[in-house]
Amino acid sequence: MTTDALTQPADSRSMGSLLSNIFWGTSLRAKVTAGILILLVWQVGVTLFAPSFVATPIGVALAFPGVVTSKVFLIASKGTLLAVFQGLAIALVFGTVVGVAMGRMKVFDRALNFYVSGFYTMPMIALLPLLTIWFGYGGDARLATVIFAAFFSIVINVRDGARSVPPEYLEVCKAYRAKARYVWFDITVFASLPYLIAGFRLAAGRALVAAVIAEFFVSLQDGVGMFVLFNARNFNHDVAVVGVVALVAFGLMFEITMNWTTRRFFPWYRRETKAD
Amino acid sequence: MDRVLTFVNSDRAYVRWGTVLLALLAGGLLWEVVGLQFNQAIMAPLIGDGVDHPGTLPRLGRYLFDDPEYLLSLLQSIQLFATGFGLALLIALPFGIILARLVMLRVALESYILMLYVTPMIALIPFILSILGFDFWPKVLVVYLFAFFPILYNTLEGARSVKPEMLEVAKSFRSSEFAIWTDILIPYTLPFALTGIRQAAGRALVGMVAAEFFLSTSGLGEELQTASRNFDMAGVLATILVITGLGISFMKIAGVFEQKYSAWRGLDR
Repeated sequence: MTTDALTQPADSRSMGSLLSNIFWGTSLRAKVTAGILILLVWQVGVTLFAPSFVATPIGVALAFPGVVTSKVFLIASKGTLLAVFQGLAIALVFGTVVGVAMGRMKVFDRALNFYVSGFYTMPMIALLPLLTIWFGYGGDARLATVIFAAFFSIVINVRDGARSVPPEYLEVCKAYRAKARYVWFDITVFASLPYLIAGFRLAAGRALVAAVIAEFFVSLQDGVGMFVLFNARNFNHDVAVVGVVALVAFGLMFEITMNWTTRRFFPWYRRETKAD
Repeated sequence: MDRVLTFVNSDRAYVRWGTVLLALLAGGLLWEVVGLQFNQAIMAPLIGDGVDHPGTLPRLGRYLFDDPEYLLSLLQSIQLFATGFGLALLIALPFGIILARLVMLRVALESYILMLYVTPMIALIPFILSILGFDFWPKVLVVYLFAFFPILYNTLEGARSVKPEMLEVAKSFRSSEFAIWTDILIPYTLPFALTGIRQAAGRALVGMVAAEFFLSTSGLGEELQTASRNFDMAGVLATILVITGLGISFMKIAGVFEQKYSAWRGLDR
């Protein structure tokens, strides 16, 4: 365990085993029974006690096909996903560079640690008013929020990874008088890949949340967050729940892609990413 | 070049503290210069000149020591946080331990808890708004939802790690139900639950600000909104500092407990 609670990769541990737990857990029957019971309680409870506009499982299921194929929804998903991917790509590149620098050079670590852990702890939602004033009420503010949310968790994880490069590798580098850039980008980055992947997972979750918060705050038309907000305000709760389901699906889809990529391209890292 | 690098990377105390101090100074200076360059509606400096460019630190000082209304908002926010977070603790911890005891229930509910754990709770705010309206309790519900699932999910992780052999031994010695709880279940799940509590503290803070933004505005969220609508950047930055300070102190407190009990985690993980 690291000593400082603030610099730990917060919820990265669980994400790896999450999917397999959802789909291939034991006792399928118990799960199905519990699922049906939950849906039943939801349906009956809403029809008995809640106003008629509140979403019910049957209503959501009926609304689902129409919403998923509608143009508004597709444009909204495209907007959100594009912003998340762009933001993640930018955060990944810069975050890796800063993280490796902090992990390998003590001077950078000492200089930047205060800022990185401070910004990592800073709730991104508090920065929204500032970001909207700087970047305007538009897509740029959403992109900036996503980058801000993703950047620091990548930095923190890459830094931990760069610190834990096996010392033998570095000794070999030293023995052969390898140049610093080879040590950094050929040894450190690849040795810290498991950490990078863990950080990227964490960052992806935060990025999605950041995109939704930004859409709420900015009232951005082409976003799933706004789609949910708009339909919930117009008391189309069945339709709005489909938006929430889509958000969960985006998160899970991302997990599946990451798992597949890890298995396909870095099969030797699989164990580490699963463990921690 | 090499000697410079060795020097700045050395572990001598004055190098270490010098680097930290220099970095803080450089950051502060950058903030000050940028703040003085721009219009006060876009960026406020750290200290400022008090006329055209009101500074953030003086504003922070006035907020904290000379502004009863602001302190009232701060208290309002803390009250909201404490109510939501406390309720989440009170419900999630016993529920998690019950799941550790009743294996069948745990297996049945696990997947659904995981699904809710990954659901961005922020997307549920519009529903809470249109079903429950503008009051104190809907906001508490938001904070509660943000905090509940990280705690429950991590307690569940701990519940999964309780070794069945232990329960069997306890059973074969006819241990009372109370003793099973206090001597096996709680010590086993506590370190995991504390990890969840630290995570939840961070998330609940986001929930607090989100609730104060999007439901009826109050507390620090309202201060932030008012300041940003008036293009009062010094106020915005000072409030952000206050919120970050709250977050860091909540997480530090939770982190202290987590460290204290982290040795209780079995070595088999």
